[in-house]
Amino acid sequence: MPDLSSKTEPVTFVEQSLFEVHQKVYPRAVTGVFARWRWIMVWLTQLLFYGLCWLPWNGRQAVLFDLIERKFYIFGLVFWPQDVIFLAVLLIIAAYSLFLFTAVGGRLWCGYACPQTVYTEIFLWIERKIEGDRSARMKLDAAPMTIRKALLRATKYVLWGGLALWTGFTFVGYFTPIKTLWTTVWSFSLGPWESFWIFFYGAFTYLFAGHLREQVCMYMCPYARFQGAMFDPDTLTVTYDLARGEPRGARKKGPAPASIGLGDCVDCHICVQVCPTGIDIRKGMQYECIGCAACIDACDQVMDKMGYPKGLIRYSTEHAIEGRWGWKEIISHVARPRVLIYSAILWAIIIALVWGIVNKPTLRVDVIRDRAVLAREVEDDLVENVYRLHVMNVAEAMHRYAITVSGLPGIDMMGDRIVELPAAADKTVTVRVRAPKESGKKGSNVIYFDVKLLSDEKVAVHEKATFLIP
Amino acid sequence: MQRIMSILWPSFLVAGVAEGLFFTLIDPQELYLLGEPVYFSRTAAYSIGFLCFWAICAASSLATCYLLRSAADINRGVGASQE
Ligand code: SF4
Ligand code: SF4
Repeated sequence: MPDLSSKTEPVTFVEQSLFEVHQKVYPRAVTGVFARWRWIMVWLTQLLFYGLCWLPWNGRQAVLFDLIERKFYIFGLVFWPQDVIFLAVLLIIAAYSLFLFTAVGGRLWCGYACPQTVYTEIFLWIERKIEGDRSARMKLDAAPMTIRKALLRATKYVLWGGLALWTGFTFVGYFTPIKTLWTTVWSFSLGPWESFWIFFYGAFTYLFAGHLREQVCMYMCPYARFQGAMFDPDTLTVTYDLARGEPRGARKKGPAPASIGLGDCVDCHICVQVCPTGIDIRKGMQYECIGCAACIDACDQVMDKMGYPKGLIRYSTEHAIEGRWGWKEIISHVARPRVLIYSAILWAIIIALVWGIVNKPTLRVDVIRDRAVLAREVEDDLVENVYRLHVMNVAEAMHRYAITVSGLPGIDMMGDRIVELPAAADKTVTVRVRAPKESGKKGSNVIYFDVKLLSDEKVAVHEKATFLIP
Repeated sequence: MQRIMSILWPSFLVAGVAEGLFFTLIDPQELYLLGEPVYFSRTAAYSIGFLCFWAICAASSLATCYLLRSAADINRGVGASQE
């Protein structure tokens, strides 16, 4: 089992006092400012993920990507396949924000918000509750199989599996209405594909968070590979202060480091033990580092123990470490050309998106010529063409629309002239259009369909169509 | 194992993108399969679509992996000496 405890090398402790520190720091995993932030983010993201799908809105699920109806609901907004441009813009915004965040704060996303980090954190927590701290887990892994070990393992796997299944269920609940899904689960009438996707996503969660963990970040994540391109010497990263720490070495508590010819690093390896990717941050910036700041919390506790100032490992920038800057200088370097350009582009796109959504038409009409029926002559020298009008009410209220046709002298239509559509619904109406044979030229003629909202003439669509005369 | 992952994983990502693009633009209910209109549900169509995309992408990754084999790997296969 590739958990982090078995990845880091076993450590031999030279100093009894440091062993104490180890006992205090590690068994309770990492505690500290950044650990607290990580847990806050775990709670926020997961409350959002597990909770949002249950929220009702206007009698439907507030956030639902209804694949079957081909409509996306996000609170009051309804997106149709015709709105795909918004989705594209949204993705661009997501990408740009990631660029911006990365340029300023390094891998903040990875350390605090990425589902991979968050689920690993939760799965690790379960593991820790059941199998104990790092050394207990290492012992358990090395121990021969006993009833106790089997029981611990089984409990862990069952809990992991339950959580993974719940995650899979929630995931599918964003694509098919979750309340219906819930009742179908309990009446054992879940469709084959829904079951497939619940298990598929659940299995992925289990595999990624339970077993692969840091390997996902190191070998599978595309972002980890190109984030380096967004870094510059003013990007905040988790950094070990080399000048202050070296030469490292074990020592007793007491004398000032300089007086015994040592730096501040007591070489306790605790920063390595808490690291979820198992690297040694003292070797400098590495692409494996997900910026979780666990090593900052850990080393700060060691520094406290030793009576040294905190921050031997800290959030800092390359320039700041070189120039021994404080926070004031670091912040004053945030507004640099790269950041300003990223922000400007980002705001421009966001404003365009909001404008587009606000001005989204509330009525849409697609005119489709009936493929099966071409033009045909009917009684009294009239020619008939058949159309299907796909009327989409994008608004959040029930609406009635009037359909009229124009473009040729004497043109008229048969069929429903009034369509009534509930909120955010669509309907295809079949319309037979008739016109006198001599009203137009042989071949195709341009006609127009007008669909108007009865209560507000301004909401109207003027659609072109072709009328064939044989 | 790592080779299997490096085939399955990138193709999974690309299949996801392809699936998204394809089905936003095309309603599966309007497709024809072997001359017959698609008769199964949208959920089934999306799922089968995704698995097909994944399989196709995986085939491409597999071909890449296969062609990336070094001369030494291939020679070992035909029993030639390493030097
Ligand atoms: S950097 Fe801090 S935590 Fe890491 S070995 Fe040195 S003193 Fe210990
Ligand atoms: S080096 Fe520190 S910040 Fe980076 S992944 Fe390891 S513990 Fe987290």
